[in-house]
Amino acid sequence: MKPFLKQKVLIAFGLAILALLFIGTTSYRWMTVSDESTRWVWHTHEILLNIQDLLLSMERIDSSSREFASTGKESVLEPYHASVQRVAEDREAIRSLTLDNGIQQRQLPAVAKLAAEKIQHADRVINLRRTQGLAAATAALGSESDKQIKDEFQAAVDNLQSEELRLQAQRSAKTEWYSNQSKIFLILGTLFAILVISATGWTTVRDISNRKAAEARYRGLLEAAPDGMVVVDQSGAIVLLNVQAEKHFGYRSDELLGQKVTNIIPEGFAERLIADGTRTAAEALAQQIGTGIELYGRRKDGSEFPIEIMLSPLESAEGILVTAAIRDITTRKDAERHLAQMEARYRGLLEAAPDGMVVVDQSGAIILLNVQAEKHFGYRSDELLGQKVTNIIPEGFAERLIADGTRTTAEALAQQIGTGIELYGRRKDGSEFPIEIMLSPLESTEGILVTAAIRDITVRREAEANLAQKVEELNRSNEELEQFAYIASHDLQEPLRMVASYTQLLSKRYKGRLDSDADEFIAFAVDGASRMQRLIQDLLAYSRVGKKGGELLDVSSEESLLLAINNLRGAIEDSGALVTHDPLPRVMADEVQLTQLLQNLVGNAIKYQKPGVPLIHISAVRNAEGMWLFSIRDNGLGIDSQFFEKIFGMFQRLHKREEFAGTGMGLAICKKIVERHGGEISVESQPGVGSTFHFTLAASKAQS
Amino acid sequence: MSIEVLLVEDSPGDARLTQEAFREANSRIHLHVASDGVEAMAFLRQEGNYAHAPRPDFILLDLNLPKMDGREVLAHIKSDESLKTIPTIILTTSNAEADIVRSYQLQANCYLTKPVQLDDFEALVKSINEFWLTKVKLPQQR
Repeated sequence: MKPFLKQKVLIAFGLAILALLFIGTTSYRWMTVSDESTRWVWHTHEILLNIQDLLLSMERIDSSSREFASTGKESVLEPYHASVQRVAEDREAIRSLTLDNGIQQRQLPAVAKLAAEKIQHADRVINLRRTQGLAAATAALGSESDKQIKDEFQAAVDNLQSEELRLQAQRSAKTEWYSNQSKIFLILGTLFAILVISATGWTTVRDISNRKAAEARYRGLLEAAPDGMVVVDQSGAIVLLNVQAEKHFGYRSDELLGQKVTNIIPEGFAERLIADGTRTAAEALAQQIGTGIELYGRRKDGSEFPIEIMLSPLESAEGILVTAAIRDITTRKDAERHLAQMEARYRGLLEAAPDGMVVVDQSGAIILLNVQAEKHFGYRSDELLGQKVTNIIPEGFAERLIADGTRTTAEALAQQIGTGIELYGRRKDGSEFPIEIMLSPLESTEGILVTAAIRDITVRREAEANLAQKVEELNRSNEELEQFAYIASHDLQEPLRMVASYTQLLSKRYKGRLDSDADEFIAFAVDGASRMQRLIQDLLAYSRVGKKGGELLDVSSEESLLLAINNLRGAIEDSGALVTHDPLPRVMADEVQLTQLLQNLVGNAIKYQKPGVPLIHISAVRNAEGMWLFSIRDNGLGIDSQFFEKIFGMFQRLHKREEFAGTGMGLAICKKIVERHGGEISVESQPGVGSTFHFTLAASKAQS
Repeated sequence: MSIEVLLVEDSPGDARLTQEAFREANSRIHLHVASDGVEAMAFLRQEGNYAHAPRPDFILLDLNLPKMDGREVLAHIKSDESLKTIPTIILTTSNAEADIVRSYQLQANCYLTKPVQLDDFEALVKSINEFWLTKVKLPQQR
């Protein structure tokens, strides 16, 4: 601003001076020209006067000669001689005055000749008067030649006069023109100069006031700046600073002005002011500009604090100044340290994570990964950063980053979050391995990032495959076992029936006809065959529970019970048992099996009785899980609690064959039926008091 | 007048046992035994060795037979105009519901399972004799 203003004023004044100089010289020149012209006018005028005088002298010569001719008085000739003298003088004067004029010079000899002829004629008249008297003189006067000379002379003088009059008019006009031009030029020039000066004056005043306003503004800006501002000259002396700078360093402004900047910024700043041989200070600074330099500031009390300074050069009248914006970054430094600590902690967490962690941006580029991820995929971190995630997870991941038109990525991801997605990872060597990834979105300044926790599930997959294989094997083996049990029991039944039938036939037809030993042997054979038949039948029944079971349907358990009671009619009548029941619910069951279950349990209750009337009650209640809990309570022998588990096993018996017949399969079949229905069977009992068998069945769908 | 009964049974033991049981139940019963389905059909159609075989009044048919099983034999009998009138009773060890249903679908006249116990078996044969061979009116065509 300042240099500019100065330049402008200088230019304006220069212009004004030049204008005035031009006006002066031009006016002077024109005035000189005007003076010259005036002189020439006067010159012409003088010539004219001489011409007049010549004419007058010639007139006087003529009149004097005529008067002498009439009077003859010698005294009359005095003016005549004087006039002849004057004519000579005038002629000489005119000749010398018109030396500059060719036209006049050419005309002048004619005038002179005519004047001489006229004077000659007058002399002759005078001589005639003297010598021959009045008459001769008068005759000569009246002669034609005299008249002719007179006329010619008059004409020649007129020419001379008219030429001078023309010159006089021309010169007068020129003089007037220059005189007028000079006046106009003077006035205009002066006006122009005044204009230039006033314009300059006005703009200067305006610039100065603008500058003052700007200065006030900049000062305000400077003071309002959140940063401390310090302006330093090339020598490192502080030339200006704001309030914030005072506050930062704990000095008053006047304590710092003129002081070296090293007092407040001991290192790193002053060095930058000194340009080396090959570059200017501005260049040296230019490299630093725009980049905050982190240095230390020193307060008046000697304490140091971290600052960030931004330098910018400022050309001024005093040379290049450097403006430094100084920010106290103590808080930021603390925050950065804190952040670095946190980052280290999170980094530690990330690295400590048992899973590979990969952070991916919206475009599918990998922006972060941990050591585990490097190990999984066999890459170094720097080989993967910035690469597409499809390089390591070819399918199923990148697709999830792309949201369709109707939902955001976050929404698209949200659907996946919390559920492990099983995909394949590709190692650097190209081999693939199964992975499970868990995605979670991460809002950041770069947009929504996606964090993927990646687990190598090769081992798990193997284990799963192993398990599946084992389960399959187990199922197959179970099936084979059931098949075996079924086929064995079924096919064994045929030959066994032969054995049993023929031993019975033997016994029937030959009992008493052989010796007693034979009868006994046959009896054992018959008994053994019969028992084995029962065992096989029960085994067949047991294997049929799983193999031949029907669909679970909505059935009435009460009807099943009535059917079972009906099947047990004989046993109930024989024992005199009293079988009662509550209203029973509809349940999901295979009706045949449910009937068998109830029949076995009620049958057992009748069978294992102590003396007295067997009392059997069947009831059902809804349990907490919504299942129906059936109870078959009796007042029979009861079971010791140590056998509660055992009784549900295959071929498990608690009594001797002599006491109670049976194969020990009844409760095993019950357990298998209940379990096939998704229920549980148990018993509670007190020996000598009675037993209660419990089992659960799912309620029919209408109820649940 | 003797009663001609065809027993289709592959097991000689069972055949003999049935024979014994029928002998005890009714001495007029003349029991013919075919040991497989093909033989049974040849007997019924009086083909080959059975050209002079009598037309049975009654057929006892086991289900599990070699060559042609009892179900096929039943189907043939019940689709043959001349044979379908002969009461055909299934006598088998199978207790399977599927076999029972299938047999009645093929128009078996009744389905009986062989009791395991000899006494029960003898009782069953007696009741067959009493019902089917005594009480039931059979068509008289021969």
